[in-house]
Amino acid sequence: MNKLIVQKQLLDKPFYQFLGRRARSFVRFKSTAASPDEIKHFQELAPTWWDTNGSQRILHKMNLARLDFIRNTLNKTVRIKDPNTFIPGYNYKEFLPESVSHSIENDLNEGLSKELTKRQYNVLDIGCGGGILSESMARQPFVKQVLGIDLTPECISVAKLHARLDPKLEGKVEYDEIALEDLKQKDYDIITCFEMLEHVDKPGDILEQAWKRLKPNGLLFVSTINRNPISWFTTIFMGETVLKIVPPGTHHLSKYIDASEIEEWFEKKHPRDHKVLSLKGTMYIPTQGWVEHDCTKIGNYFMAVKKLH
Amino acid sequence: MQFLGLFQTIIRRQLATAAKSAGPKLTDVLIVGGGPAGLTLATAIKTSPILSGFKTTLVDSQNLTDRVAKFYDNPPEEFTNRVVSLTPKSKKFLTETLGVPLMNDRIQSYDGLYVIDGMTDARMALDQDGMLDMIEILNIQSSLLHRLNHLNLNEGSFEIKEEVKVTSIESSTKGDPTSWPIVTLSNGEQYKTRLLVGADGFNSPVKKFSGITTRGWPYDTFGMVATLKLNPLSPFAKLRGWQRFLKTGPIAHLPLPGDNATLVWSTKGNELSQLLIQLDPKVFSSLVNAAFILDDADLDYYYKILGENPNDSVTNESVIDDITQRINQVWDSLKNDSLIDERYPPQVIDIVDKTRARFPLKLSHADIYCSDRIALVGDAAHTTHPLAGQGLNMGQHDVEELTRALEKGTLRGLDIGSMLCLEPFWGECYPFNNVRLGMADKLHKIYGTNFTPVVQLRSLGLQLTDSLGPVKNLLINTLTAGSSK
Repeated sequence: MNKLIVQKQLLDKPFYQFLGRRARSFVRFKSTAASPDEIKHFQELAPTWWDTNGSQRILHKMNLARLDFIRNTLNKTVRIKDPNTFIPGYNYKEFLPESVSHSIENDLNEGLSKELTKRQYNVLDIGCGGGILSESMARQPFVKQVLGIDLTPECISVAKLHARLDPKLEGKVEYDEIALEDLKQKDYDIITCFEMLEHVDKPGDILEQAWKRLKPNGLLFVSTINRNPISWFTTIFMGETVLKIVPPGTHHLSKYIDASEIEEWFEKKHPRDHKVLSLKGTMYIPTQGWVEHDCTKIGNYFMAVKKLH
Repeated sequence: MQFLGLFQTIIRRQLATAAKSAGPKLTDVLIVGGGPAGLTLATAIKTSPILSGFKTTLVDSQNLTDRVAKFYDNPPEEFTNRVVSLTPKSKKFLTETLGVPLMNDRIQSYDGLYVIDGMTDARMALDQDGMLDMIEILNIQSSLLHRLNHLNLNEGSFEIKEEVKVTSIESSTKGDPTSWPIVTLSNGEQYKTRLLVGADGFNSPVKKFSGITTRGWPYDTFGMVATLKLNPLSPFAKLRGWQRFLKTGPIAHLPLPGDNATLVWSTKGNELSQLLIQLDPKVFSSLVNAAFILDDADLDYYYKILGENPNDSVTNESVIDDITQRINQVWDSLKNDSLIDERYPPQVIDIVDKTRARFPLKLSHADIYCSDRIALVGDAAHTTHPLAGQGLNMGQHDVEELTRALEKGTLRGLDIGSMLCLEPFWGECYPFNNVRLGMADKLHKIYGTNFTPVVQLRSLGLQLTDSLGPVKNLLINTLTAGSSK
């Protein structure tokens, strides 16, 4: 009997500590936390998160565009060192026969993939939800490990369950229900904030906390929606009310952030150590999925910011 | 009590590990069927820099390494009877993209198709240099095996399971179609696969498991093939394919290297094809010549007396004589002799022994080519009438698009067995194939009647097409899959 009691006490200690931390988090205001409304909304969506024909289909489709954006941005950061790969300096697609330009392009892509694979990035996915982006990142040969964090416990358990279905993800992706500012690790190569800034009350704090956890030369990927009537029309009126391709209650116009506001924020807070590598608008065309465009003042956009020092 | 609990846990854990090691083998892609579509897909995956890391397993009921692969090193002297036309697009995919060294001396490229309406003598000549290639299916299969063999892949990367059949397929989690399917083979082995590809023909077990429904109808028509031996060709003869629409169905005569050609003769109903397959080779050869030159009434007469006197040498002799005489009459009626080479195919003098074979023809098209963890390619997804020579090419197009979808999905970090990754493949292929299936089906129907207004209209249509350049180019474009200039 004695033995049992001792064991219980040992067990209880970390449990109380855990509770204590929990209790504190309710008391102290956490700037990177999402509001209870938002958490409740995503709780309801959790069970159908991975149904690609269900409520999150449009998000699954958007994920394809995100990965294209990430790859295109990363490709700009590497140089092919293999002397056997020859890339003409002129517009070869215009001047060379199709078969030649095709093989040049293949060489180029292969070379870039090889260089990228050497990098072995550590990735943090903030607001991972059911893990759509985290899984896609974890499958990339250039990614060493992904940590997905989210404040909706239901989403975290859905993400954990789903990752277990693919043996290739074993050891490559982890999930944690933790607020960003409680995260100890501070040496990420890539941090992603996709479709999450429009769900928090203080986006500036998220950006600041994320920036702190980025290694020098690391990349921060951000995507959200410009705050203007056109965005209201496309994302809320058309998306949620008319076409019903976005779960109702997902978006609030007042929480949208303009791309220029994010740029201004970086100019003000980190004027000397940031560089916007890429900024692209993206829009959903029902027959084609999400398409990138160059008008960054309307609707959704993707942004990549490099930390210089 | 506690000790017992601990003990139980240990036992359970050991059992769990034991079960794990004896369980199904894991593979990323399991291809059922080693026909042209299945082997092309395996080669496409293993030669793609993006996909080559996926473990691939190919299952076939035949002995591929012995029966098929040897064709490459020790080809038979005569041509085999299963010959297909390859569009420039399919050929480019095989030779340039996949680097498959086809056996070029067994391929015949030809410069056009000459189409004749057997009832009205309306004609159309589709001419284009190097429009299509005639190639034996065994040439394609063995060249692909040769390519795979020279990639020197180890068992962890690619393996062929031959002389085994699929006995059962089930989801690893009952009722969850997104879970990995477990495929049990006739040798008792089990594979658990991320993506299961059905390249297993019309009666595809993979299609049955997927529950994908197929639409279509049988044509009540048999296609007969044979390898023909020709009169030495005149140096002025054009290298073209010949197709004549008879009352009983189309007959096609397509060039192979040297004095060889291949025949595809579709006939309505069971009886006629049975008769043709049993005829003496000499009479059969004469009848093929007659079918391109004489009238339906003459042919009906020959079928009748040959059917009434099976394998009677006197009847055979008289039929051959009669055919020769009537053909000469037709030729004599032509304005000049050069028209013989222009309007009629080279004369058949014999057929290669044991190359006559027949198979029932049907139209079928699967409603969708993929579902969670499943993709269908080739005949598993669609079968067609051979009159437009599109069957194999549609399968090659399927493989090309599936590979493209898998590559794109992999770059985007998708699970290649997920619908999200597979959808674009179906989206690209279905309309492409539907046009071709529909075209062959309509041609079969339009030419399957002797109702006068239809016959008049179709002849008018054929002649109009013949004289309207742009329409003709559109047709050539469809037949060659848009690779013509």
